[in-house]
Amino acid sequence: MSDDTGIYPKLNLEPGSVHPINQTKKYLLDILSSIGFNTINGPEIETEQYNFDMLNIKKTHPARQMHDTFYAQDKEYVLRTHTSPVQIRAMLNNKPPMSFASGGKVYRKDDDATHLPMFHQVEGIHVDESVNFAQLKSLIFQIIYEIFGNEVEIRFRPSYFPFTEPSAEVDILSKDGKWLEILGCGIINPVVLKNCNIDSEKFSGLAFGLGVERIAMLKYEVDDIRDFYKSNLDFLKQFN
Amino acid sequence: MKVSYPHLVNFFKEKPSIEDVSEKLFQLGHENEIIDNILDIEFTPNRGDCLSLLGLARDLSVFFALDTLPAFYLENFEALDLNFQNHSPEDCPAISFLSINIDEIPSKYEDYLESYFTTFQINKNNFFTDISNYLAYEMGQPTHCYDINKLDSDIEFVSENLNENFETVIDKKIALSGNNCVFKSNNEVINLAGVMGGKSTACNKSTKKVLIECAYFNPESIIGKALKYNLHSDASYKFERGVDPSYQEKILRRFIQIVSDHTNIESIKHSSFVSKELPVKTLKFDVKEIETIIGTNIDEELYKNSIIKLGFNISNNHINVPSYRHDIAHQNDMAEEMARIIGYDNIKSAEFKINKTHVSTDSEPENSLRNFLASKGFNEVINMPFTTNTDASIKIDNPLDSNRACLRTTLKDSLIENLLYNEKRQNESIKLFEISDIYSITKDSEIKNEKYLGIVVSGRVGNNYKEFSKKLDHQYLEEHCGLDKNSIFEISRDGLDTKIKNKIYIALIKFSNLPKSLENLQNIKVNKINFNTYKPISDFPSSTRDLSFVLSDQNKIKELEEIILNFKSSFLKDSFVFDFYNNEKTNQIKIGFRLIFNSNSRTLTVDDVDNEIDDIVTMCMEIGGVDIPGYK
Repeated sequence: MSDDTGIYPKLNLEPGSVHPINQTKKYLLDILSSIGFNTINGPEIETEQYNFDMLNIKKTHPARQMHDTFYAQDKEYVLRTHTSPVQIRAMLNNKPPMSFASGGKVYRKDDDATHLPMFHQVEGIHVDESVNFAQLKSLIFQIIYEIFGNEVEIRFRPSYFPFTEPSAEVDILSKDGKWLEILGCGIINPVVLKNCNIDSEKFSGLAFGLGVERIAMLKYEVDDIRDFYKSNLDFLKQFN
Repeated sequence: MKVSYPHLVNFFKEKPSIEDVSEKLFQLGHENEIIDNILDIEFTPNRGDCLSLLGLARDLSVFFALDTLPAFYLENFEALDLNFQNHSPEDCPAISFLSINIDEIPSKYEDYLESYFTTFQINKNNFFTDISNYLAYEMGQPTHCYDINKLDSDIEFVSENLNENFETVIDKKIALSGNNCVFKSNNEVINLAGVMGGKSTACNKSTKKVLIECAYFNPESIIGKALKYNLHSDASYKFERGVDPSYQEKILRRFIQIVSDHTNIESIKHSSFVSKELPVKTLKFDVKEIETIIGTNIDEELYKNSIIKLGFNISNNHINVPSYRHDIAHQNDMAEEMARIIGYDNIKSAEFKINKTHVSTDSEPENSLRNFLASKGFNEVINMPFTTNTDASIKIDNPLDSNRACLRTTLKDSLIENLLYNEKRQNESIKLFEISDIYSITKDSEIKNEKYLGIVVSGRVGNNYKEFSKKLDHQYLEEHCGLDKNSIFEISRDGLDTKIKNKIYIALIKFSNLPKSLENLQNIKVNKINFNTYKPISDFPSSTRDLSFVLSDQNKIKELEEIILNFKSSFLKDSFVFDFYNNEKTNQIKIGFRLIFNSNSRTLTVDDVDNEIDDIVTMCMEIGGVDIPGYK
């Protein structure tokens, strides 16, 4: 006799769950992998050199101030504020053409209803000859359509990231008619390529980054980012 | 930054609507919101040049032709006899001073000046300070006004370590410490450079003789000071983002013009101190390069005319970058200028393809382990790494608070905290895991990084009739998860904030020491991610009820299950069969259901739960042949 014959009650074998943020991170990295990006990882404790200097983030940039960035061990280290240092290490250790994606925890000195001191990012870079902004747009369309469907309305707007130039932020139009910021992207600043010993006359690159919590909140319709980190089984069990 | 639409639109020949202005600002990368007649604009930190009416109008001039700019005083100056010593020209490469004596303090302001205060509901201060504040809004350059009668003739600019008190113009007393750029007179600090002036030399409503200082400070010398002393000012915001290093004299000419619009000036004297002329940045005028970066054809005339409107100067196939554009350094910056003017959304996308040679991922073992543990009923948690001090911890220099001053060196404490939290929420079967990098400091002060798997269990093995009475233990972790016996530890509940008695078992395993059974997990089935909308979780306690049925017909089991497990209710959160016994000799079946009730908005009353139970029981009794011994 088996459990589904009606003779025995059903066995309530509760499945467990991978954390929704890790599921979303893997989902995003799988999309990038399917496009051709190689997934890499890097340390969460970084030096200012890799987290800021190599990325053309000058000492005067507000992000470097003590109220935005966690410094450690008498300013010898920083808790990485983005996954971009992973890309820096990849560019230093490889020769173009190259395409890398990385995802992981990042830290900012924030703690309120909509910001947490730790969150997750997924980033990608591609360096080759003649990489341009029009191609970047195509890639971003590809990624966003994969996540939100081909019908979603997308807009690009100029922004500022010291490591990309031109830089853009990309929004999608939500069901209730509001534009929601989804990712940042741009053409890799030639200064950054030079810092990584890449001939910026010959090669150019594109870069982009997504907030994993942001995507997870939109896809699962979670409206409070803090729910992800309460470790509440009633919450976690919903993601099996 | 808030900008009045009527103030801004005065700069243009045609008067575009506020919606047109807003849309074009957006296209240029200046996010904004219209609130009545005000544009509330957010600028990226590299665009200090836009932090004024003039700067904004200049940026918008590619779309809207500029009208005549505000008037400037054009006469020659008489030299100001000022003994000024600049001891730190690196921090302050350019500075101008202007002294003005006026006949009379005006009783009312001209419309353009008055409108600034009424539009933004700003309190007036005194005539000169009011002009200074307006001028920063109009032209983007802060100025500082000293009452000459309160000032010694000698002024020096220094960058030095200080340990003294300073009272600001807004009556706030601060203790200056560490290195600061300040202006001093008679060896007393009279102005915290780029942030705020001092009370001792401040103008008041009767000031008629004023010394106006107009400087360019190196942003690196100013940044962080306003935050350090909690003295945020419009001036510090602008200086930190970089003002125009070549505009000081012109700003003072505008200052004079505004004064003369209001009252008769008795004398004007001026002196400038420029330590070195800042070089003009030049770039090649190269449309092809811009096309290569953007990936689209560019009309050369459009490019040329647009950048000229933005203040760039073109000569001999080279572009001279205006002194206020600190953000322009190479062709990519010019490409962004052109892309903004075209509109990012108007740039056609072009095919993007990666020639895949090989695609690798170095996260697979970690993901496989996650899926394996989830398949065994474990739920993954992610914890913040911050904790209180331990010896080998990495210390955060600027923690959020003292409880989060270090990075954890073990997953243990977080996992036990997660366990207790869920026990308090009436969870009886808890199986959690976390995979995380753990960072510590070695004796040689080097960063050590190791990836760990942490597992914690306590309570029932499962919420089903076969596992309900079994407890999670050492053996379970060995047999079901393939953990090595030596990696599992029982944690004492002594000292823990809990009354629950179930034993707690924990395993903390370095990834480098994972047992062989957990190393090769490639064959674990991974479900495609399913983005189901989640149901909000309740912060209110649950109520648990058990219903035990006795029946003789085995076929009734399914009917009972269908009623209870599919019962639609706003309060029933979970239900499962926790007990089942088939006595074949007596042909009697006992089946126990556990029902858990909960509300998202309140704590449930006994009546709330009783009403739900009554409804369920009524439906079950309609099946016939089932009984609930003892139920009334």
